[in-house]
Amino acid sequence: MQTKLTKLLGIRCPIIQGGMAWIADASLASAVSNAGGLGIISAMNAGADWVREEIRKCRAMTDKPFGVNIMLMSPHVEEVAQMVAEEKVPVVTTGAGNPSRFVKMWKEAGIKILPVVASTALAKMVERAGADAVIAEGGESGGHVGDLTTMALVPQVADAVKIPVVAAGGIGDARGVVASFALGACGVQMGTRFLVAKECTVSEEYKKKVLAAKDISTMVTGRRLGHPVRAIKTTYTNQYAKLEADSNFPDEKLEEFGVGSLRLAAKEGNTEKGCFLAGQIAGMVNREQTAAEMIEEIMADVEKRMEGVQWDV
Amino acid sequence: MTTLEKLKEILSECKGEDLDITPETTFEELEFDSLDKVDIVMQIEEAYDISLGDNMQLSTVGELIAKIDEAVANK
Repeated sequence: MQTKLTKLLGIRCPIIQGGMAWIADASLASAVSNAGGLGIISAMNAGADWVREEIRKCRAMTDKPFGVNIMLMSPHVEEVAQMVAEEKVPVVTTGAGNPSRFVKMWKEAGIKILPVVASTALAKMVERAGADAVIAEGGESGGHVGDLTTMALVPQVADAVKIPVVAAGGIGDARGVVASFALGACGVQMGTRFLVAKECTVSEEYKKKVLAAKDISTMVTGRRLGHPVRAIKTTYTNQYAKLEADSNFPDEKLEEFGVGSLRLAAKEGNTEKGCFLAGQIAGMVNREQTAAEMIEEIMADVEKRMEGVQWDV
Repeated sequence: MTTLEKLKEILSECKGEDLDITPETTFEELEFDSLDKVDIVMQIEEAYDISLGDNMQLSTVGELIAKIDEAVANK
């Protein structure tokens, strides 16, 4: 299926895989790209050497376009930004801010730039800076979340900018993809569904938690510190929520309580101290499949649901 | 309308209540989040048809007024 997004990125299906920290590595990214979507490697807080290694591994496993997600608050952001330009990675998605200071360098390297945005003002700002498309992510998503929902955010961003809009947050199957088209997007980004892809190297405990999750299994913590995060309810999130509500518990201690919790979940499957980030659609994710099976199933259903529908996507 | 008055209008609209601001007011005490700040910068730029730069650090209202006035003067 061709949309503005598939044409922009040179991919077969308008599905981008979310850049999940500690999870989105070369294995998952190459599998998604080989399946026709756009796989993403998460640079998270890692240094340039680690990310470069993943990029090279990914290149060895796929000849299709893929991307790197760069977290702009990372302490290594400058070196990683430089390195992706040297490596001429086909696509960069960014999180946690405005990537304008890197745009010139990335454009010169032929990189397509897709910032993740949570408001219309930020979408307009990155469009002006030269972004090729924006990923409008609603608060249904896992991980760091904004206040606006996908339903409210996507059409407002689509009205605010002229560049293509990708919808993210709360999308787990063909119904979400078709709904995103109706809201004015020309593609989607999905994270949670890919957590249980066979090629996803996340811990087995993490996959089990996602497979067992229901619609009301996730919660948001961290609002007090200004960076709210959605995760599956566990001993850890419940403890965090209690400490967060306790005004006598200092912010610095709360910050400390969160350090390393995602790695413990993703890499070690620690169900006591781990933070299992996942979106609200986790309840719809109930079986492991290969990335290709997921994408083929979704796209076949999208085509069926859009039969006879003439939309400009 | 002075820059301070215009800024008061933009900041109050963003906060959802009438704010009593002076040049000494800091953005820390106004407690805007990161998306609010992006929105404020975009609104100012559209209102004055200027560019303030994309990664502007907002400290006090007075400093922001000075930046706006400078950008307007250099148009």
